[in-house]
Amino acid sequence: MIDSKNITTIVTASLQRRHKKERRFKLLGRSAVAFGFMLVFILIADITYKAIPAFHQHWVAIDVSYKEDWLSIKDDQPDSLKTANFRKVLKQSIYEMYPTVQGRKDKRALTKIISSNAEFTLRDHLLESPSLIGKKETFWLLLDDDADTYLKNAKVLGEAELRTSQKQATWLKELTDNGRIEKRFNIEFFTNGDSREAELAGIKGALIGTIITMLVTLSLSFPLGVAAALYLEEFAPKNRWTDIIEVNINNLAAVPSIIFGLLGLAVIINIFGLPRSAPLVGGIVLTLMTLPTIIIASRASIKAVPPSIREAAYGIGASKVQTTFGHVLPMAMPGILTGTIIGMAQALGETAPLLMIGMVAFIVDIPTSITDSATVMPVQIFLWADSPERAFLAKTSAAILVLLSFLFVMNTAAALLRKKFENR
Amino acid sequence: MVDMSSSESLVSEDTKIDGTVGNCFSDDAKMSMRNVNVYYDNNQAIQDVSIDLARNKVTALIGPSGCGKSTFLRCMNRMNDTIDICRVEGQFTLDGEDIYAKSMDPVLLRARVGMVFQKPNPFPKSIYENVAYGPKIHGLASSKAELDEIVITSLQKAGLFKEVKDRLDSPGTGLSGGQQQRLCIARSIAVSPEVILMDEPASALDPIATAVIEELIDELKEKFTIAIVTHSMQQAARISQTTAYFHMGQLVEMGETTQIFTNPQHKLTENYITGRFG
Amino acid sequence: MDNELHLTQHISKKFNQELEDVRNQVLKMGGLVEQQVSDGLTALLDANKVLGQEVIDRDHEVNAMEVEIDETCIEILARRQPAASDLRLMVSIIKTITDLERIGDEAEKLGVNALKLADVDSNGNSNHHFIELRNLGDTVKKMLKRSLNAYARMDVDEAIDIIKSDALVNQEFDNISRLLVMKMMEDPREIKNALRVSWCARALERIGDHSQNICEYIIYLVKGKDVRHLGLDDLKKHIL
Repeated sequence: MIDSKNITTIVTASLQRRHKKERRFKLLGRSAVAFGFMLVFILIADITYKAIPAFHQHWVAIDVSYKEDWLSIKDDQPDSLKTANFRKVLKQSIYEMYPTVQGRKDKRALTKIISSNAEFTLRDHLLESPSLIGKKETFWLLLDDDADTYLKNAKVLGEAELRTSQKQATWLKELTDNGRIEKRFNIEFFTNGDSREAELAGIKGALIGTIITMLVTLSLSFPLGVAAALYLEEFAPKNRWTDIIEVNINNLAAVPSIIFGLLGLAVIINIFGLPRSAPLVGGIVLTLMTLPTIIIASRASIKAVPPSIREAAYGIGASKVQTTFGHVLPMAMPGILTGTIIGMAQALGETAPLLMIGMVAFIVDIPTSITDSATVMPVQIFLWADSPERAFLAKTSAAILVLLSFLFVMNTAAALLRKKFENR
Repeated sequence: MVDMSSSESLVSEDTKIDGTVGNCFSDDAKMSMRNVNVYYDNNQAIQDVSIDLARNKVTALIGPSGCGKSTFLRCMNRMNDTIDICRVEGQFTLDGEDIYAKSMDPVLLRARVGMVFQKPNPFPKSIYENVAYGPKIHGLASSKAELDEIVITSLQKAGLFKEVKDRLDSPGTGLSGGQQQRLCIARSIAVSPEVILMDEPASALDPIATAVIEELIDELKEKFTIAIVTHSMQQAARISQTTAYFHMGQLVEMGETTQIFTNPQHKLTENYITGRFG
Repeated sequence: MDNELHLTQHISKKFNQELEDVRNQVLKMGGLVEQQVSDGLTALLDANKVLGQEVIDRDHEVNAMEVEIDETCIEILARRQPAASDLRLMVSIIKTITDLERIGDEAEKLGVNALKLADVDSNGNSNHHFIELRNLGDTVKKMLKRSLNAYARMDVDEAIDIIKSDALVNQEFDNISRLLVMKMMEDPREIKNALRVSWCARALERIGDHSQNICEYIIYLVKGKDVRHLGLDDLKKHIL
């Protein structure tokens, strides 16, 4: 037996070493966390910097003359207005502003400064106020993305750049000097669907598509996953079959997501004949992907409910179902929600399986139901990343920011929900 | 709870007794158990026990650790049904009705035979919800007012109402150990059982809380029949009228508590009570 | 339940030791009291004033032992909360030492009367019926010895036997009383001395009663049945 005096000396000797180890470990931990934060910060900062240009766009004020002979209309009726020749109105109005410009090539270059959507904007405007027929007004139109990019990035205003010729540069400078150029917040980014024209491209379609797909995924995977976990943990007999099922579920969680996409394509689309690229199909595929995560997390948290609670409920005379749904499930909710959040967050960012089921298609219209063709944010980002226009670069980054904030909002909401259950 | 699946059989040739000593039966029995044998897989945990619970009396089950008294207690409200490997044989009657009959719903049985556990286990809900849960699921109250009354009465009977009457909505888990156990007792009383089974109800509590619970048990016996498993012989001596001594899964002796503690008949009982072994 | 009592093998060795110690103390007190009775009787019958005084002085020791053993018992009751046979042991010890202390008092009386009668003797010769007294004394001494032995051995059969033999003591006492009454009637001058002798006889008879009590406690300890105040037949029935 070591007497107490010796112990003190022995322990004191090792004490310094132990404290040093502890301090080292703490330092290591702290620096790892700091490093991680720093990387995240750099990433966000970089994306934000790249995304900033996407949030404002330049508009130009054009003196538009709604001359009847340009419009080539028979009467004032809306039907004929709809089919009027607004392109001519636009072009002629611009030529009027720059009478010195001659030659087809130059004229085309001049028109190219304005967004190709402008004629439709004019049409909608005239349909709203048909009294403008025959009159002239100064109207703001969106610039083409090349012109917009030039105005954002030109080193010296007035000198030619990559996609802007000298003449165009001069015109833009003139317009700027004359106060006809205005920078506005790009609300269209959030209100337009996708477009080949960079200045018109918006994420609304992809955002709605994501929301619908996520809703489908959530409404399928959450009840199924939780019910499966409850059944496996509480009701199923413990035999070899349930062991096999458990092994399989664990394995499914590790399957590459693109396999689920192939499954969706082969079975759900080909055999069941559901529409390609629909949020319904996307939702089903993502459900298959998320189910293992939810089931595994739910099972763990159901297992963690102390048996004393179940015993207490049985002791009062609660049936098995009452005990499970009235006591075990609410107690396991925080853990289940955590699993669901993880699963949903994974599903939110999935691209490969959705590409497989056809969401790579170019979708312009905003989807309104679960069977409409749609795309999702990650796919949209993927598509835009492919495009060469510089404006798309900014838009890609902006879309990434939107996706991240969506994720953040989702996580916060779920964390609040989980806290609410924990405090009960 | 003791994990019985890996232990050896309690009952073996060298520990067999020659029959129970003393008076196990009662003229006015609320519950009767005859020739009970309980097995966990192939291990026998209880051997041929026959015993009566006298109406409106407290019966104490004592014995060394692992002697089967908790197992036996849990048979009386069919809690052992929830354990797959547990097999119960024998006759159990409540007021003459066979409680293991196919026609007897264990859910209903457990409303008539309540249980209080060793470690207080209130639900993670409010105090009110804890007590109201039983009456709610059994449909004992037809209006909120009735439910309120049941909750208040049960809390009063359990001697807890005064302490919690202004915080009925606060969580049950926020009470002290002794209060939690009284809450659990209130919870079992709320469904108006006929028998209350208590598995070492005060073993996790300090002496004062224990004394309060014991006082409560004494009052409760006016309305309920109580069976209590306890490790503390002094507690059994204090609160029970009848005591049964279990040893290695067998009922060795049973009789009036005073007699068991002043002059037990069986040597094993004597040895246990005087601290000679076990 | 068998007629034997095993008082050892507690899990707590210390508790075992405590019970052993207190039992030994009781036996020691019994031995002292036995000696007192023997000396008191001898002092009386041999007119030994020195011995008589010793007996009177030694009574303090007996009282002190009673107090000490009482305290020990209360300590054990408080700390150990004994049950069943241990509890009966405690109760029987507490009662036994009371009876032993009373026996000691009776022995002291013998000593006191020994002094008084010895003085008388030096003046005149008297027949103090010492032969009968001696017989009674021997019977009582034997009874006490047997009781203490039975107590040491926890022997119920012996205890029952001893209880039976109290009848003998009562018989002898009645005998002496009759003789003394006759003597007092014959010679009124002898009344004082006769009374003294009668008191000694009474003391011896009481010692017999106390010994019988001790035997009753032995039966209670071993059998767990309270047989005090029962006649012999009822007693036998009660134990079985």
